Amino acid sequence: MVGLSAGEKHFIQGGIAQDLRSDGRKRLTYRSIYVETGVIPQAHGSARVRLGATDVIASVKAELGRPSGLQPDKGKIAIFVDCSPTAAPMFEGRGGEELSTELSVALQRCLLGGKSGAGAGIDPASLVVVEGKVCWDLYIDGLVISSDGNLLDALAAAIKAALSNTGIPKVDVAAETTGDEQPEVNISDEEFLQFDTSGIPVIVTLTKVGRHYIVDATSEEESQMSSAVSISINRKGHICGLTKRGGAGLDPSIILDMISVAKHVSEQLLNKLDSEIAAAEASDEES
Amino acid sequence: MRGLKLPLNQTQRIRLQRAFEKLQTLSAKANSDASVTVADSIQVNYEDAFLKGHGTTDLNGELVATVCGVVERVNKLVYVRGLRARYKPEVGDIVVGRIVEVAQKRWRLEINFTQDAVLMLSSMNMPDGIQRRRTALDELNMRSIFEENDVVCAEVRNFQHDGSLQLQARSQKYGKLEKGQLLIIDPYLVKKSKQHFHHLEQFGVDLILGRNGFIWVGEHVEVRDSMIIDQANSAEQSAVPEEKNPAYTSLEMRQHICRIANAIRVLSTLGFIMDAELIMQTVELSSSLNLNIHDMLGSEFHVLVAEREAERRSLMSKRKR
Repeated sequence: MVGLSAGEKHFIQGGIAQDLRSDGRKRLTYRSIYVETGVIPQAHGSARVRLGATDVIASVKAELGRPSGLQPDKGKIAIFVDCSPTAAPMFEGRGGEELSTELSVALQRCLLGGKSGAGAGIDPASLVVVEGKVCWDLYIDGLVISSDGNLLDALAAAIKAALSNTGIPKVDVAAETTGDEQPEVNISDEEFLQFDTSGIPVIVTLTKVGRHYIVDATSEEESQMSSAVSISINRKGHICGLTKRGGAGLDPSIILDMISVAKHVSEQLLNKLDSEIAAAEASDEES
Repeated sequence: MRGLKLPLNQTQRIRLQRAFEKLQTLSAKANSDASVTVADSIQVNYEDAFLKGHGTTDLNGELVATVCGVVERVNKLVYVRGLRARYKPEVGDIVVGRIVEVAQKRWRLEINFTQDAVLMLSSMNMPDGIQRRRTALDELNMRSIFEENDVVCAEVRNFQHDGSLQLQARSQKYGKLEKGQLLIIDPYLVKKSKQHFHHLEQFGVDLILGRNGFIWVGEHVEVRDSMIIDQANSAEQSAVPEEKNPAYTSLEMRQHICRIANAIRVLSTLGFIMDAELIMQTVELSSSLNLNIHDMLGSEFHVLVAEREAERRSLMSKRKR
């Protein structure tokens, strides 16, 4: 990342303290979100989200597989993120791996719930075809094309949009089969089942700079942060995941305050995102 | 034009297209088929003598472009200017750069050129203003003048034999830039003009249009003549750096700076040539509409600016006739 001079850093900190950031935003205003769906035709669902100069793509592929022995009535979901070397100079070669793992784990925590599959944003029970024998495996991949801060929020938005764009093919199961045999399945090419994405949370990242926190930091502002807390909140206002980055310690009261601020911001974000996704799907159908 | 990353609804898209078409017809001048991609043949009158410039080649007797870009014609020279080209320096250009390295007796600056530019210690005024030989002590204290990542304004002095650039910052108007923000746009949008330093009085803001595409918008700094500094002042100055947290820029000044910065961002997205007048008009347009500073980056404002520019140019061309 390009360095900043002392004068520029001072200017950015002053802006955040006075509630007027470098591009005129208030502390709790997001950059304009631009959503495109169906960008990868070979995938079952895909979306591209642009948040200022941050550009990410998420794709969803579904394959038939066997459910695990421990949870025979649930499908499997895997989320991986890759930071493309073209996104930023520091991602060259293997530089982006650490960040990729961090983002993947944060998204998995927020969206997939615990080991037993309980409390997941995406309901794995809806992915099962034949209990104990056949289920859908969802592979959700995120790709960071251009990085200008706030990757986690953009990726969560892209995954939400990709899942709402996903069509799982309808499966016809052959008639009753005995115990251990794999049932024959017929994957339909025509009919698709849409995913229900109303339960999927969004992630709001609050970056603390000085004594104030901002939402949707650019990479310049992120370089000035002391710590950042990413909170995943769903439509009901419940917290689905919480991650803290940065070495500076935070007083617990600040974290509680951040959570309430994030809750407030997430309502607007969810509405905005839903309307953008609907608009993107509508224009996708037209073209 | 090129894919604007703006969410435009149907009417906005139509209005924007119309504005761009109008601008294209106005700037016709035999440049109507100006944009070319690789292997496009360039329209030239083959009977006239012409010079083949960069980005062109002779293929089977025909002049063909070798890069994607815009055809430029200057007298008899025909060349293709690439779209995302690096800055092409000329001697005497004002540039804004960022220090990347403090080396022996020189600083290296990043100026969006193929190589880093060099600013020699001897091309820089000493803080005390006295003209003297630079000693070893001066060399060791280079960091007190400029450090890494500082933003500096300078002038192109000459080219060195290996193609790299030498800068000089002898006058008082050059030097370190603080208290503001740096914007990066495409270099071809800043054309050479009489003045690159603009002091916008009504806002109290300094605007420096670097020809390399780095634009500085910041608080106004009085140009001090260092020769006049006497003992009393120098004692005052040495006390100031000890202040840990100098006051932040005032909110009103900051609003002006952000508005101007956003105006520049809008103009660069639309691909309009930057000059202080156009920037001021865009800022006035946004204030007259009572737009929130952040809303300037929305699609509606982009469309308005494009339409305004199309109107302005058609008025100008009508006046000329």
